[in-house]
Amino acid sequence: MSDTILSLSKVDKFYGAIGHGVHAVKDLSMDIARGEIVALLGSSGCGKTSTLRMIAGFEEVSRGAISLAGRAIHQLPPVKRNVAMAFEGYSLYPPLNVRENIAFALKSARLPQAEVDRRVGEVAELLEITGILERMPNSISGGQQQRASLGRALIRNADLHLLDEPMGQLEPQLRAVLRGRIKHFIKERGLTAILVTHDQTEANALADRIAVMEGGVLQQFAAPDVIKEQPSNLFTGTFVGEPPMNVFEAKLSKGDGRIRLKLSAGVALDFEDSAFSDAVRVAIAGRDKIVIGIRPYSVRRAQKGVAAKVAVSQWLGDQTHIAADFAGGLIVLVEHDRARLKPGDPISVDIDPSSLHIFDASNGKAIAHGRELA
Amino acid sequence: MEHMSLTERILRGIALTLVVLFFMFPLFWIFLMSFQTNETILRIPPSLFFEPTLINYTSLITGELQTQAGSLKIEFMKNLGNSVLLSVCSVAVALVLGVPAAYAFARHKFRGSEDIAFTLLSFRFAPPLLVLLPLTIYFRQIGLDNTYIGLIWVYQLICLPLILWIVRGYFEDISPDIEYAYRIAGHSWFATFRKIALPLAGPGIAAAGLLAFIFAWNNFVFALVLASADKQPVTVGALAFVTASGIQYGQIAAAIVLSIAPTLALALYAQRYLVEGLSLGAVKG
Amino acid sequence: MTTLELKNLSRSYNGKPVIDDLTLSIAGGETLVLFGPSGAGKSVLLRLIAGVVEPDKGQILIGGRDVTADEPDQRGVGMAFQNFALFPHMSAFDNIASPLVAHRKTRDQIRAGVQAVAKLLKIDHVLSHAPKALSNGQKQRTALARALVGQPPILLLDDPLRNVDAKLRFEMRLELPRLLANRGATVIYVTQDYKEAMALGDRIAVLHEGCIAQLGTPEEIYLAPKSVSIARLFGDPTINLLDVTPKADPLGVFAEVSDRPLRIFGCDASVAGRECVLGLRPESIRFIGGDVKGAIPVEIEAETPLNEKTVTLALTRGKRELLISRPAGTPGPVSGTAHVAVDERAAMLFDRATGMRIGGETAASLAKGEAA
Repeated sequence: MSDTILSLSKVDKFYGAIGHGVHAVKDLSMDIARGEIVALLGSSGCGKTSTLRMIAGFEEVSRGAISLAGRAIHQLPPVKRNVAMAFEGYSLYPPLNVRENIAFALKSARLPQAEVDRRVGEVAELLEITGILERMPNSISGGQQQRASLGRALIRNADLHLLDEPMGQLEPQLRAVLRGRIKHFIKERGLTAILVTHDQTEANALADRIAVMEGGVLQQFAAPDVIKEQPSNLFTGTFVGEPPMNVFEAKLSKGDGRIRLKLSAGVALDFEDSAFSDAVRVAIAGRDKIVIGIRPYSVRRAQKGVAAKVAVSQWLGDQTHIAADFAGGLIVLVEHDRARLKPGDPISVDIDPSSLHIFDASNGKAIAHGRELA
Repeated sequence: MEHMSLTERILRGIALTLVVLFFMFPLFWIFLMSFQTNETILRIPPSLFFEPTLINYTSLITGELQTQAGSLKIEFMKNLGNSVLLSVCSVAVALVLGVPAAYAFARHKFRGSEDIAFTLLSFRFAPPLLVLLPLTIYFRQIGLDNTYIGLIWVYQLICLPLILWIVRGYFEDISPDIEYAYRIAGHSWFATFRKIALPLAGPGIAAAGLLAFIFAWNNFVFALVLASADKQPVTVGALAFVTASGIQYGQIAAAIVLSIAPTLALALYAQRYLVEGLSLGAVKG
Repeated sequence: MTTLELKNLSRSYNGKPVIDDLTLSIAGGETLVLFGPSGAGKSVLLRLIAGVVEPDKGQILIGGRDVTADEPDQRGVGMAFQNFALFPHMSAFDNIASPLVAHRKTRDQIRAGVQAVAKLLKIDHVLSHAPKALSNGQKQRTALARALVGQPPILLLDDPLRNVDAKLRFEMRLELPRLLANRGATVIYVTQDYKEAMALGDRIAVLHEGCIAQLGTPEEIYLAPKSVSIARLFGDPTINLLDVTPKADPLGVFAEVSDRPLRIFGCDASVAGRECVLGLRPESIRFIGGDVKGAIPVEIEAETPLNEKTVTLALTRGKRELLISRPAGTPGPVSGTAHVAVDERAAMLFDRATGMRIGGETAASLAKGEAA
């Protein structure tokens, strides 16, 4: 990245004594460019919120350094970092109404009243809270409070905007509308933002790059489509993607110009050697066990294929999600039409080798994605 | 607090020391006094150095007080026993009555429930002496003056509102869904109260009981008016040290040390319950 | 199989009705999804059925028996809560066992019952843990196990997947139908997620301000919504809504999109000139090669991926936004002018003033065809 604005270098977070307490963030390094939107994505307890709070200054950095706009900030108190934050919980100042809450930072900066009014109006319209600007925080709903908190953060001209699950309390329909608008707002003003979320749809829709975290460790930091198509390990592969990737352990055997993947329960997948690229064949040559991952939309029903039995078939209006008993577990298929299947119906599934993700069986690291090496 | 410079740290340290000195000095001085005779206490200028003596404690425990005017019988140990009896029984009664009431106020919003709860709290606002005057007359008429039962009853004015209001808050913090879940599982409301509400509010009940105990222990006015010598708690009994031949500072100091010892010990012991009680507020299952 | 009937049920809080004269009848063994935005009264309705909240008016019948006056422990319902509501001071085992304990089962019966349901839900290895030592997914399964263990004939599930991560939510969505079918219980399932509603419900009741706005199979609700607001609640991305004023000619009723006529089925000439809203599902619009007959020209604005789909934002000639979705990986234009065709039989017409759908035999018969 050419114009780095935020840089975390070898950051650790311990709750308790360094080296002893809970190791919440482990050796985290990442650079974020000016004008970029980055999503920290992970399940609860993965270290994403700790990371955000360290950047904001609410948590001490146990080890390592953070610099923002060329200044080392990890020793500074929160107010001196020039960072704006929207909170997951509601954090409005109770004695001020919504308008005063949103305008708070601008008032402190002594901006002219007309300018303040204009910007508050703009943000309120964006977040659909124009009608409640004169209300007090305790008289509005949770979703409205959260939007007001988001507005208070977005209105500022800070070096960095931190958004902690900013839409968690909102209705799904409103969330879908706001995603697009917020992205547009941030991009239009060239703001830099870090979004913490556990919702991958939100991360995909808003972020330029996604940092997937688990167990305090950064698993992968890349653009959404790269994360999806080239997951660096089994965790990222199964965490990102909805419905999640199908995963099977496979024993590898070769001969007669064919490669055979033996799954459990006596199910085997047979492929021509040529189905794999030379590089991939070499990479898996010495192994007898691998883990394969197949995205649900890459599994197809076909005349010829491996037998499976439908467990459930769920029509969602524009897609059908089918789960079938297969190789001692379930395999999930996504079809874009309505599939009229009942539990117990036999189907046969066809797996295209060029859509296989291959992972190391011992450490979960990606080996190949289709015909490309990882 | 992680972003403090060295000067900030030093200033903070000084401020803390001053506060601690300010609050702890009287206690510390009394503790020293309890090991001195009246003469050493009253000498001028006062000195930190003296020959410690246990005479104050021995005279308190034996009940024989030696003064210049001769020996005097005091009933300090009896008073201490009275204090324990009155405080323990008052808190016990207040818990038995107050905890179910607190539960009712927390869970059932009936007509006038807020008014009743507030009325109970308002007992704490009334000046005790104002209450005492009519009370004394009534008690004398029904024969409750100078009895333990009468005192324990009056002590409810101190303990009951305290327990009611603190415990009610703890009950309100328990998600009703947890109790609903237990009811739907097939248990009666009483089983739900016993097996869910009580254990979950346990730390809060302990904290409230402890506070009530301390308030009951420290009460002076009620016992002064309503109890004669043999029913008196230590707070009133200490008046006996103001004798005709002078004030027995050494004995008073020793009596104070002895009388704060139980509450102090209890508070230290219950501290972890108090902390636990506060952190259990986040019962999300 | 136990039926459940609600008759004229009402409940208000502080003078505001939350459930307003609601009548609903659920067949034995059916899974009914209660769907609606927060504040629609879904949770209150479940609590009324469970008996922990009392109705102001109305009756609740379980298996034909009036239980309105019964205590919650007498009703024979199982319930799982959105916030799990586990007993924090008891182990997972004791949590799950509590319905069996309440019914005075023997020790061996309790052990066997808990083990069986725990195994089914894959939590048998964490039974000795306290709730706070469980992961979110394990908590959710423990709560579900507690609801299931007593084999209650009525099962109330209050958005049980709301607080678990996407992966687990998806897995549970696939597992639940089998689990519930094996139990033979009558289930009321509350959710805010339309996908869960469509995947799990035999029927869906859309709740709006304490009343049932529409009751029907997933097909009926998705393909033949009664109003604009219901249409908006289902589908991701949400349905395109365009203000139109239809015209009628001898060939039929037409609405104009990008100055091109779009045939509307299922309504007669009387709608001509009325102010209407045209509803077009994003997946019912597809890109076509060129400006052929029936094509609608649009200007491509942006493209975003969304769960195995590609969603294109386009503008009509009237500068109105149109979302178009297609399976991920299929080709589509990324900029400039393109042409789309609309599946005319999937187009819906709503009255702009009332929000209610106009005509709609087509969509209804379509729904019947789909259901068959």
